[in-house]
Amino acid sequence: MNVAIIGCGGMGAVHAQMATNCGLKLVACADTRKPKAAALAGRYGAEVVSPKAVLARDDVDIVAITTPTPTHTGYVIAAAEAGKAIFCEKPFGRTVAQCEAAIAAVEKAKVKLFVGHVVRFFHEFEAMKAEVKSGKIGRVGFVKMYRGGIFPRGEGKWFHDYAQSGGVTFDSSIHDCDWLRYAFGNADHVYCQALQRSKPEPIDYAAITFRMESGIIAHVIGTWAHPQGFRVRTEICGDKGMLQFNSEEAPISVLMRAQAGGGPSMIVPASPVAVSPYQLEWEDFLGWINRKHKPRVTPEDALEAVRMVSAALESAKSGRPVKL
Amino acid sequence: MAKIGIMSFAHMHAYSYAACLNALDGVEFAAIWDDVPKRGRAAAKQFGTRFLQDLDAFLGAGVEGVIITSENVKHRVMAEKAAAAGKWILCEKPLAPTLDDAKAIVAACRKANVGLGTAFPCRYAQPLMAVKAQIANGDLGEVYAASCTNNGQFPGGWFAQDALAGGGATMDHTVHVADLLRWLTGKEFTKVYCENDRLLHKNIRTDDIGILHLEMEGGIQVSHIASWSRAKSFPTWGDVTIEIIGEKGVVSVDAFNQKLNVYCDTTMRASWPGWGDNPDLGLVRDFVRAVDERRSPAVTGIDGLRAVAVTVAAYRSAQLGKTVRIQP
Repeated sequence: MNVAIIGCGGMGAVHAQMATNCGLKLVACADTRKPKAAALAGRYGAEVVSPKAVLARDDVDIVAITTPTPTHTGYVIAAAEAGKAIFCEKPFGRTVAQCEAAIAAVEKAKVKLFVGHVVRFFHEFEAMKAEVKSGKIGRVGFVKMYRGGIFPRGEGKWFHDYAQSGGVTFDSSIHDCDWLRYAFGNADHVYCQALQRSKPEPIDYAAITFRMESGIIAHVIGTWAHPQGFRVRTEICGDKGMLQFNSEEAPISVLMRAQAGGGPSMIVPASPVAVSPYQLEWEDFLGWINRKHKPRVTPEDALEAVRMVSAALESAKSGRPVKL
Repeated sequence: MAKIGIMSFAHMHAYSYAACLNALDGVEFAAIWDDVPKRGRAAAKQFGTRFLQDLDAFLGAGVEGVIITSENVKHRVMAEKAAAAGKWILCEKPLAPTLDDAKAIVAACRKANVGLGTAFPCRYAQPLMAVKAQIANGDLGEVYAASCTNNGQFPGGWFAQDALAGGGATMDHTVHVADLLRWLTGKEFTKVYCENDRLLHKNIRTDDIGILHLEMEGGIQVSHIASWSRAKSFPTWGDVTIEIIGEKGVVSVDAFNQKLNVYCDTTMRASWPGWGDNPDLGLVRDFVRAVDERRSPAVTGIDGLRAVAVTVAAYRSAQLGKTVRIQP
């Protein structure tokens, strides 16, 4: 099967590699900034084409959409109408209405849509889910999730425009919101504070609390406020115990000596795995396409994740809890 | 499809290797032999294979490769029999408790023209593979020094009986790290000074703590702690850590620090279940492929022998109270 990438920034490059690892051939790259498309296409011997032309090609079986969030669902709908299988990076869309329209188009065209909620494929998160299921910590009552680091420097600086990206709440904490729902079911209501500063420099910091339908209270912190690094922490408390994960407890840390003209540079603590979670999500998607199993992430899951973070931002704006 | 058998479930690693054989494609877990029939039968039932009480019947049953996971002192006899029967061998570490035994195993396999591997699964741990790549790329520059640990909980049973283990913690928990440093640097060990004793556990005869000061070719300074010092209430079995001081920087690796922290009030215990990739799978996969391709396993019998040479010299140093050269 052949794949085409629309949106050749950082995530486009990641998914080009993962799709290739799975045996797919990258045949076409599209980006409104042509040099970006040319750079990625050059690495895989793919052609540079316009987004429209991608969808018109017969040799493209799967389209991967890795553009800025507000443009996702427009491409999803066009790809569905062209009869392509679709991989869309998270968040699925910028609004609930956009996602609902995209699901309608996908259902009408009877094509498969997979949204990249990759945290469901991380080894450590699967291990946490298994520990909870084992009953070792009893009935879960409270969950705390923490994720973030520096403010992302996406091309075109669209992350800095909160109207487009939704900030850390919408773009990053959506990972934890989706995983909460995956592990503990639907949320009933949400309360959120979102910093969303732009001056003197972009800094965002979100504090979100969900009350789940099960009664579980879940607290999610998202940060794009740190001067450097990236860290993930999770804590799950039950009536018989608790568990914690902290990405800073990593197996490898490297500190390099000062090079001529600079200070010592810290390399992020590394925690290597044999198969990247980003590849595992492609394997899951391809298994679904080949009718081997159901996908771990359905379009409805992706819609519900957008609903959760949209409600969080609505709460941040109004200062009131929002019912889901 | 390679047919693999396991000889003896005396060593707990046998259970992990057995699970790997069942998890891998392209291999048949054909049979188990054990000098304790009850243990072998139970394992055969657990892993869905057959138990053969007679060693000749086991070796004649179409098995192409065997994993030897007996007590250390029995490795030699089992390996010599398996090699004479033309079987490929993956032998649990240490290859043997003495240099004579280790050399005899290597010689028997060479004579029979069969592949011999030593079970050093740490070479297949993703974090250590990443560090190996960093050093090989030259990211760290020249390696100047390292400090290491291989701490563990007290394994009990035959591990602390000199007649079966042939040594204590200094033997059990030096060979992994000795092998890793040879692999990481491409250099051999030249000398060792060792302090060891039985200081942590009563009613055992072997040492349970050993501190080694080593030197490698080119003057690389290495220190190592080999111990059964982790308390019974410690959250995990132990650790493998290496801090490498290089020309261009310092890398610290805690090979099994891909874990959750779990606190359970039912047992009043904290535990660290791991979520990283299982290194044993890489080790067993390589052995299965080696059998299929009739080639040597990636981690060889010579690698096992070199690690034994380090522990043997360490015990001699502890006995003599001085630095001892390590046989090349």
